[in-house]
Amino acid sequence: MSVAPSAHDVIVVGGGVTGAGVARDLALRGVSVLLLEKGDWGGGTSGGSSWMIHGGPRYLEFDWETTRLSAQDAGHIVRIARHLVHRIAFLIPVLPGDRNNLERMETAMEVYDRFQPLKLSNTHVRLTREEALAIEPGLTPNLVGAVTMEEWGVDPHRLAWANVLDAVEHGARALNHARVSSLLRDQRSVIGVRYVRDGAEVEARARVVVNAAGPWVPELAAMAGQEVRLRPAKGIHIVFDRRISNFALSGEAIDGRDLLVVPHGPITVVGTTDDDFYGDLDSVDVLPDEVDYLLQGVERIFPAIREYRAVRATTGVRPTLHRWRLYEDDLSRRYEVIEHPAAPGLVSIAGGKLSMYRLMAEETADAVCRHLGLGSQNECSTWNIPLPGAEAERPSAAELAAEFGTTELAAARLLKRHGSRASAVLKEDTRHGRITCRCDPLLEAELVYAVRHEQVSGLADAFRRVSLAAGPCAGTACVQRAAEVVGRELGWSPAQRLEAAEDYWRGSWLGRAAVIDSRGWAQEELRRAAAPRVGAR
Amino acid sequence: MSRTSALARLAAAYGAHQIRRRVLRRPPPGAERLLETYAPDRLLPLRSAERDVLPAASRCINCGLCSVVAARVDGLRPADLASSYLRDYPRLALARSEVLGWSGASETAADPVLPSPSLAAAAAACPVGVPLEGVLEMIRRLASS
Repeated sequence: MSVAPSAHDVIVVGGGVTGAGVARDLALRGVSVLLLEKGDWGGGTSGGSSWMIHGGPRYLEFDWETTRLSAQDAGHIVRIARHLVHRIAFLIPVLPGDRNNLERMETAMEVYDRFQPLKLSNTHVRLTREEALAIEPGLTPNLVGAVTMEEWGVDPHRLAWANVLDAVEHGARALNHARVSSLLRDQRSVIGVRYVRDGAEVEARARVVVNAAGPWVPELAAMAGQEVRLRPAKGIHIVFDRRISNFALSGEAIDGRDLLVVPHGPITVVGTTDDDFYGDLDSVDVLPDEVDYLLQGVERIFPAIREYRAVRATTGVRPTLHRWRLYEDDLSRRYEVIEHPAAPGLVSIAGGKLSMYRLMAEETADAVCRHLGLGSQNECSTWNIPLPGAEAERPSAAELAAEFGTTELAAARLLKRHGSRASAVLKEDTRHGRITCRCDPLLEAELVYAVRHEQVSGLADAFRRVSLAAGPCAGTACVQRAAEVVGRELGWSPAQRLEAAEDYWRGSWLGRAAVIDSRGWAQEELRRAAAPRVGAR
Repeated sequence: MSRTSALARLAAAYGAHQIRRRVLRRPPPGAERLLETYAPDRLLPLRSAERDVLPAASRCINCGLCSVVAARVDGLRPADLASSYLRDYPRLALARSEVLGWSGASETAADPVLPSPSLAAAAAACPVGVPLEGVLEMIRRLASS
């Protein structure tokens, strides 16, 4: 099956937050862009992150400029994505024998306070042992005191999607589930890509191809005979079924690395590991040892952590820049925009982190514009143009709930994801009040909207876009119902709807298997008993 | 800036910190300032007793048996208590009218949950022992604080 080739100024390969950010930046500059993602938006390294926009206090030991740049760009992201971010107040308990005693830890926070205004954050507070235990009674009584620190949390899937959406609204074309199979060449030059989508192979031509494929950057560069050396680092996170605390916690792992326990809305994310990775980037497993490593570290500051219920684990591979002779944790999170003189028309962006995605995108877009011969009239504006949903005042949850006859909790979840566009979501479907997933709660109208307007073509996409089945029941109560709603929109047959539900459970099992305990097994049994099977009589 | 320079600046900051600690008066109690700072975000401390409720609430497997025994308890579905309401504590204020709006309930956190025979029956039916009364009490406290 052949599809007519398309032509663009730029093709961006990689729909993580960086690639999406590059596409948005270029589209805002008036450049014609095609953005391709082999999976779903933000489904790779971005989604496997700690879900934080932070300034990077640990870089104070290495390079204050990185902290400043990171904090400054975090401030830009907070301003342009106000509805997507939330404050995270960290408690950092100090225990006897910690690498940093209380005075050293407070010194670090005093220095970090200088950067906090850049990202609109509050400064630190020092707590006595008694104060810390009153704020969080679950902390170990062994602590000698604590300091606080503030960062921002964000759902990276929604952040990536907001960038994609804005790019599209400014003229870009964006396709998920479109895997690049090769680069088109004219002698040495890269003049486009060949990609596969829905079983069809398509050629797309462009003056510049941006390689923003995260850990897959070397693979794509190799298609043009170019070597980009990364030192991929695997990181896992454990997701708990609810907020363990209203305050985030920070502690040390057995090897002295910093571990974080971070509440994000109704869940808690614990992470992360940081290990050199040599395996298949498309199949990254969570190992029981990695889970134990995290729980052991958290147990030291929060002894009851194992009593809480982990519902899944996430993995991601960081595209860290290559360096010899350093431990993984000491590797820089800096990034590099690589122009390939031996393969004109190819620009790669490697390294970096979620908090600096906008800056990385800006510098990449600058390099692309130089290739395109565009002048200074095409300057970056992503730092001050709000992302979709942040352009206007949001209604309150109470107003939205009253107008559309839903609960304030459901309205609040909607506002968090869609900001000022939440009303449009509810207007999409007349059954606005019906809840598909009670754990979070997810409105049927939002699911319908996601299929119609947010490139959701399956239940796994819905998990990323609207947090379908992200709660404690692992989809027991909602996946089949969601399959009905999505299937109705996409014209699936009843058998296809059942298959979609089973596919979702099978796929998501990989994330649950490593962390499941007796409570999780009971949930699995119930889910299996309740679910009709394809072909069952 | 090199690592040496970064460490030197941190060392200078450490010296300044020690001088401040010794010479200047100590800052006011931190807990008060912390809670004041994050009050708009509704980041409230959890209580010691509530620490026992949370792992028990995590046992809920959404089987719905509690809601078969008692479809509604004071306007709420028992099956939603542990798996839906008791998850995103700062947002519980938004459910204030749902959680506290039933007849006979006082809207102050200090009041205990009124004994509810139907909630007790729902809890008794729970196959994994979720303490629904304790869960509801915590929800009410967080919604009204």
